[in-house]
Amino acid sequence: MATDDQHSAHLRSLLAATARKDAGAFRSLYEATSAKLFAFALRILNKRELAEEVLQESFVNIWNNASSYQSSLAAPMTWMTTIVRNKTFDLLRRLDDAVEIDADTFDKEVMNALESTNPTPIEALQMSGDAKALARCLSKLEGLHRQAIALAFYHDLSHSEVAEQMKLPMGTVKTWIRRGLERLRLCLSKLEGA
Amino acid sequence: MNLGQLRNNDALREKLASEYVFGTLRGGARRRFEEWLKEDAALRRSVAEWQDRLYPMAEFAPVALPSPQVWQAIEKQLNLQGAAPRSGRRSFWLGLREDLAFWRGLGMASTTVAAILATVLLTRQFEPFVPAATYVATLADDKAQPTMVITGDAKRRQLTVKVIAQPAVAADKSLELWAIPKDGTPRSLGLVAAGDTVTLPLPENTTPENTPVLAISLEPKGGSPNPNAPTGPVLYKGAWVEI
Repeated sequence: MATDDQHSAHLRSLLAATARKDAGAFRSLYEATSAKLFAFALRILNKRELAEEVLQESFVNIWNNASSYQSSLAAPMTWMTTIVRNKTFDLLRRLDDAVEIDADTFDKEVMNALESTNPTPIEALQMSGDAKALARCLSKLEGLHRQAIALAFYHDLSHSEVAEQMKLPMGTVKTWIRRGLERLRLCLSKLEGA
Repeated sequence: MNLGQLRNNDALREKLASEYVFGTLRGGARRRFEEWLKEDAALRRSVAEWQDRLYPMAEFAPVALPSPQVWQAIEKQLNLQGAAPRSGRRSFWLGLREDLAFWRGLGMASTTVAAILATVLLTRQFEPFVPAATYVATLADDKAQPTMVITGDAKRRQLTVKVIAQPAVAADKSLELWAIPKDGTPRSLGLVAAGDTVTLPLPENTTPENTPVLAISLEPKGGSPNPNAPTGPVLYKGAWVEI
């Protein structure tokens, strides 16, 4: 998708300028990505002040390590999401209180679109082309399999923790997640080839 | 299992890479995988591919905005105060500066400029009294249609703007010409009348070297109320070169 590629190229050039310690470019990078990254951290941590702490730590890390992105094989947004996800889970492990996990991991509108048999709601979502492709492939999985994947991804749960959360045998959950990931890979490569 | 076995088993490599990225690969298995990652480029590639596949899931979270204090805290922690804040108005200039495609496109623009240059030089041979053009530029719209030719005279410090295509400008609007530096604020060069040839003074120390792009913005009648930035959309832009 051309606009996605352009957006990626734009983020890549902002990261390159950030690596040269260009504070203006860094600010633009923050403005272009902070809302998405914050929303992700907030969904995991459920508390604004914690998610803001993670966002701050993550961007300090991005500023300090932007030069190492050059050697990264992943897309710029992926690279930044990895940093935020790691910082979020680090914080989660440091917390004494367990964060409450509810079954609806994704945004309501996204959930509805994933469950709809009509492809239009996914197309209408405000997200990148990569996220829409992933949504299309996730929508082809069974609801419970999708839920297991969402729980593990958003809450850093192990197979046994997902099983406990969903009140299912661990072997079942393990199989669902493994097969689910493999199906996502096949589905995404088919979409890419199309 | 060792790395050698993993190298010969695509299915296993994909499975482990996916679970590593996903987070369900735990404990000793995870640590061992991280050791292999250091040694195996194909494995690192598999991991990057899985990250690109799965991480867009982060976008499925409900929309939320951080408070403005977060940026302030980052700025403070990294000692970035004084970094020019980019307001919405200036984001176009920033975008232009950071837009690699645009700066690469300048190369192509130079080809057009070269064609014009050839014309200018040919004309000059036959008309020896034409004032010497030291700078030349074509400005094009977003469809790469040339709309204006600008020639500059470094000695007399003046620019001549010739309109090729007639832009329709409402009676309450003006077209303003800007010189855009790679860093810093744009400089206003004056107003351009639609459908006419206009001569404008060229300020001292304004050269293609320090302000490589010329651009025309649509402004309220009389020009941008802000002397350091356009307030309206940019209609035409292009590189200028010294000849």
